[in-house]
Amino acid sequence: MSPSGDDGGLSRLVHEVRELVLGDRTLYESGRLTVSEEAARSLLRDPALAEVRLACASPGESVRIIGALDAVQPCSKGPGGGGVFPGFLGPALPPGRGETHVLRGTAVLAAGHLPRAQEAVIDMSGPAAPLSPLAATHNLVIEFERAPDAAWEEVEAALRRGLLRLAVHLAEAALEAEPDAVEVLPDPASFPDGRPRVGIVTNLQTQGKFKDVFVYGRSLSGGLPTLISPNELDDGAVVSGQYGHPALKNPTYLHQTHPVVAALRERDDLWLAALVLCPEPVDQGTKELVSAHAARLCAGLGLDAAILTKEGGGNADADVSLKMDRLEEEGIATVGIFAEMAGRDGTGPSLVVPPSLAKAMVSTGNYDERVSLPSCARALGGDRLALLDRPATDELELPAAAVYCALNPLGWGRLTCSEAA
Amino acid sequence: MRIAHYLNQFFAGVGGEDAAGAGPDLREGAVGPGKRLAALMGDEHPIVATAFCGDDHASGHPEFAAALVEEMREMGAELLIAGPAFTSGRYGLACGRIVSAAAQAGLPALAAMHPDNPGLAEAGGTPVVASGATAREMRPSLERLAAAARKLAAGEELTTEDGRIGLVPRTNRLAKRSAAQRAAALVLERLGGDREATEIPLPSFDQVTPAAPVADPADALVALLTEGGFVPAGNPDRLESARATKWVRHSLEGLDSVQAGEFESVHGGFSTQWANADPNRILPLDVARELEREGAIGGLHSEYFATTGNGTTVADARRFGVEWAAELHQAHIQAVILTAT
Repeated sequence: MSPSGDDGGLSRLVHEVRELVLGDRTLYESGRLTVSEEAARSLLRDPALAEVRLACASPGESVRIIGALDAVQPCSKGPGGGGVFPGFLGPALPPGRGETHVLRGTAVLAAGHLPRAQEAVIDMSGPAAPLSPLAATHNLVIEFERAPDAAWEEVEAALRRGLLRLAVHLAEAALEAEPDAVEVLPDPASFPDGRPRVGIVTNLQTQGKFKDVFVYGRSLSGGLPTLISPNELDDGAVVSGQYGHPALKNPTYLHQTHPVVAALRERDDLWLAALVLCPEPVDQGTKELVSAHAARLCAGLGLDAAILTKEGGGNADADVSLKMDRLEEEGIATVGIFAEMAGRDGTGPSLVVPPSLAKAMVSTGNYDERVSLPSCARALGGDRLALLDRPATDELELPAAAVYCALNPLGWGRLTCSEAA
Repeated sequence: MRIAHYLNQFFAGVGGEDAAGAGPDLREGAVGPGKRLAALMGDEHPIVATAFCGDDHASGHPEFAAALVEEMREMGAELLIAGPAFTSGRYGLACGRIVSAAAQAGLPALAAMHPDNPGLAEAGGTPVVASGATAREMRPSLERLAAAARKLAAGEELTTEDGRIGLVPRTNRLAKRSAAQRAAALVLERLGGDREATEIPLPSFDQVTPAAPVADPADALVALLTEGGFVPAGNPDRLESARATKWVRHSLEGLDSVQAGEFESVHGGFSTQWANADPNRILPLDVARELEREGAIGGLHSEYFATTGNGTTVADARRFGVEWAAELHQAHIQAVILTAT
């Protein structure tokens, strides 16, 4: 099997970023990424944005980002991106083959106000840092002001385009560099051995403006489950436009680096056989249709087991639970990843809608438990935390629900919840 | 660690049923069964104060607990032990209330009662260990209580092995591996035939018996309620858009319908675009007034109640329900229309 190209697999050319600075010219050299402020501004320019500001936030710094919106990992297949982020930058066609340059250890991240977005706090150091994937990356943070007559939908679209353009621009700086690692990702459909075939069923939130997720640039709202290669995620086939529920959010960065995809790839006793993307409908009838259809699809793929992921809170639990039940009826063993809503003292019922036929569930932690964040030296994304009406740099006590990706339902985190052992 | 001990009037030696109305009080040192407890705890953990209250007073005046906790702290208490209350309901209630108040005030606390004691729920997530059913089992009950107290004093968590009963709080902690890695491992267990393995126990929910149908709606006073985050424009009460901890009430007097620009939904769980274009679709005042005019209902309550049903904890939702029911009973409401979003 050749490492890439005609066998349908993808080679990831990984360039580690260990330092991020602003400068005159965008450059990647020996782990140091320099970002041209002028080039970045020009990529973000849009009539809906009156002003953009750029800042760096690196792991270990005394920096708090509030109002974190989406985050994107820089990647590119060639000049202009070469087809990454299909439907936005590349043509709306399935990617996921050939070679992709990835800047690992860095992200571009927008922070500020959008309707329906909430607190979304990232502390780059201190006790909350281990709770957020974006506290472990060198972040190029984009702050912005809305143009006076621009609609918020236009602001959101401008930010989304801008982040993706920037992500490609940064990765282009490494196109000629020697990669730190080459990771060969086989085509899941090609594997012949006898390991159990495990699928991932990933529900994407589809709740309208500011709460939507895009596949090849299109919302899955109103649609049915669909099968894509997990390798397409590395090339940005799934892009988030969902800004609610900070702790239960799946930013583009975590679709690109899907934690369950990664966890299955690293095992030699399970085979990642399929990735099924599903909408998270808002009415019961459609939830049932999508669940039954996803189960038939998985049965048709000959899966032995499936891991289910979601985005968002209580209503999204129903989608996971219904699918677990329908999959179990098809003879497919299921494991659901859930966040708990057990109340501030952890004594309430953890789930709004539990599954009835299966009970293998992984907990990403209790949403309502408080976390204490110490004061910090500077804040990005805003001056005041609206939830508490306090300066953003203050010592804060917040529900875990307010910490960006703290209970990530794609399974990124180590946070969990249990009774005393 | 300096201990305060809570007893009811009987075990404190104040009196029997005749003294059940006695108010809260405090004495230095150990009293009654506290003397045996003190001996079990040893010199390292002296009982510095004994608090007590009549059982009737404690049932009727929940605020007794916070006041006693404050006084215990002033006397230097670092740990509160309550009971054992055995199956005595009012005493168990008082023990549950005082340990819960202590925990809220940051004072570690522990109670003992029989698992069937109705006061167990009052303790919330504060630790309770099982005692025997009656005072005949005082000695083994105190031994178990003392062992659990020593463990708590050492900063350890109590488990069922220590005799822990009641609600056990689930707390956040960091696992060695990510949730995704644990999910993959759980798949292997499932494929190996284990159908029980899970990190989240299945919750059990209350079964609610619906009220009897309204005999004649034309005689009934009807209230409009909603969990749709429905507030006057500008949200003067700052009702939360998610994880609500309160509810609001506003007058509907003189209104024939609710107008865009005067009312809005601050609910964070759905797109409020259409609700805000016509607020009657969240709070159906327009059609309710028509029903009122037609005589199909006896009348409409003069105000509406609203909260936000989005990530609300069951404990808060239950409290809103109790408060709403009490308010509606007082206003002689026979039926409600509760719109959900």
